Amino acid sequence: MRLLSMDRLRNCLEGVVPSGIATCAPDGTPNVTYISQLMYVDEAHVAISFQFFNKTRENILANPHACVLMMDPDTAARFRILIRYLRTETAGPLFERMKAKLAGIASHSGMTGVFHLRGADIYRVLDIEPVQGRELPPVDHGPALLPALRRSVDALAACRSLDRLLDTLGHCLEQHFALEYQMLLMPDEAAQRLYIVTSRGYATSGAGAEIPYGVGVIGVAARERTPIRIIFPAAEYAYGRAVREQLAGGELADRLEPLIPLPGLAEPSSQLAVPVLAGGRLIAVLYVESAQMCRFGYDLEDTLVALCAQLGPSIVALQTDAADDELPRGEAPAAPAAGPPLRVRHFARDDSVFLGDDYLIKGVAGAILWKLLRDHQTLGRSEFSNRELRLDPALRLPEVSDNLDARLILLSRRLTDRNAELRIEKTGRGRFRLQLSRPVLLEDA
Amino acid sequence: MSILEDPALARFVSGQMSMHVAACDARGFPTLVRGVGYRIDPGQPARLRVLVPQSQSEPVLRALAANGRIAVVLSEPASHRTLQLKGGDARVESVEPADVAAMAPYVEAMVDHLRAFDTPEPFMRALLACSAGELAVVSFTPAEVFGQTPGPQAGARLASGEAP
Repeated sequence: MRLLSMDRLRNCLEGVVPSGIATCAPDGTPNVTYISQLMYVDEAHVAISFQFFNKTRENILANPHACVLMMDPDTAARFRILIRYLRTETAGPLFERMKAKLAGIASHSGMTGVFHLRGADIYRVLDIEPVQGRELPPVDHGPALLPALRRSVDALAACRSLDRLLDTLGHCLEQHFALEYQMLLMPDEAAQRLYIVTSRGYATSGAGAEIPYGVGVIGVAARERTPIRIIFPAAEYAYGRAVREQLAGGELADRLEPLIPLPGLAEPSSQLAVPVLAGGRLIAVLYVESAQMCRFGYDLEDTLVALCAQLGPSIVALQTDAADDELPRGEAPAAPAAGPPLRVRHFARDDSVFLGDDYLIKGVAGAILWKLLRDHQTLGRSEFSNRELRLDPALRLPEVSDNLDARLILLSRRLTDRNAELRIEKTGRGRFRLQLSRPVLLEDA
Repeated sequence: MSILEDPALARFVSGQMSMHVAACDARGFPTLVRGVGYRIDPGQPARLRVLVPQSQSEPVLRALAANGRIAVVLSEPASHRTLQLKGGDARVESVEPADVAAMAPYVEAMVDHLRAFDTPEPFMRALLACSAGELAVVSFTPAEVFGQTPGPQAGARLASGEAP
């Protein structure tokens, strides 16, 4: 018997065509049924969703051997795999990946509300037997991934600032991978949330919008530090809805937080969130989505994981730290702002900032903006440095990994999104300028 | 009355369902194959004749020839209504013209069933392709029937007159 690797057969495991599974009772009676989900674990292991106590489960607990007949959803190539049950996982990254994927499959097959994952049954693959039969020609799905990865890592390696790195990432995903809708989020560990720093493909960037850990594919990818990929529409993982529901019904309901609307497709058909790690720390989450079903395969997931393995250390390396900061150069006289003043209110409770009556931003980014505006008003300053922000105790930036550059990028994009008459513009490494096209009237509420 | 003559079951079975056929060898290793049709011969109304491609079915046919124990799952793709039939007297039959004739309508019905899931027609035709010369037929008397529609009740034995 020839032992193929599951690495080559991952398309068969997407749940597009249900596989059949046969087991054998201790008395030798066969049992056969369909499986909702067969998932790739590694080259020699697969996982099967355990949802109900049934004959298949009874059999494998007594006789661990099972046989699965699976098909390539493009070519109809068939494979019989002989597998042996090892164990069941009921929590953790693999379980969460399966749970998310099952939600997509349930929705695709009209079984939402019926499928409930109790566990991920892990099996070792003992043998893979190609089964004869008519096949269709293989199908190309999207761009060739390795050349796209190569071009992207080359482009990222040439970046010398964080904002250039993030722009280049977005450009590469769009141009080389044809990924139209994308977001990059960064974690606020203390608050157990992620905030959007940049995005592409949407009417507004959504910079500053937040997603709690554990909510939607992005939140689960962050919490479990594992990629989460769904290739069918799955309402419970559509983060927009998930976040709204959590806010409406959860512990946060009484806080009625000002919310920056999440950008994103209302009903994405394919979703993929990849955690970006460096030195064991969660640095960011990359999220892509599509209105097309089955758009993101296992190979794309692997490719983006590889890309993010470079992205994480690059983000860390390009975050300026105090040693890099330059002092502001001589002030260029700012053109005096004209027109009726814009009322800007600051609430110390959560550092939220409102322009007129409209919520703008809160948290560290809100505190930074407030400091800049006050310094501008009282000292007439427009040029600032990262260093002075780091030294300002009122901002309460963490001593290590303060994400200051990322927060400034998000603040700058949020201001652009709001078409605000305030702008932040980078003027050099660790330096930036506050630009006002209207006078401001500051109120500390 | 045999299981196949139960009216509720007969109605379900007559609907051209998606099908897999399983057997176990003497070591307790299971195996399975996708069926390409089935029919009930009026001369033997208690037996289900299951059509499979010979070249895809070798391990299944070998195990059935050795012990006669068979399990067949029938599922209606659109509704997920599923049942499993089990028997202990499976045997390989000689292929009759009516077996060959049963394949084409089965394929057409499956193409129709799966269209609802956006499964491309060429895919279903490739999956179920089997020439007359390739056809093997197994028959058995269903001795037990189990409801297997996904859900907590899956696996329960069906009572007489009960459809999945």
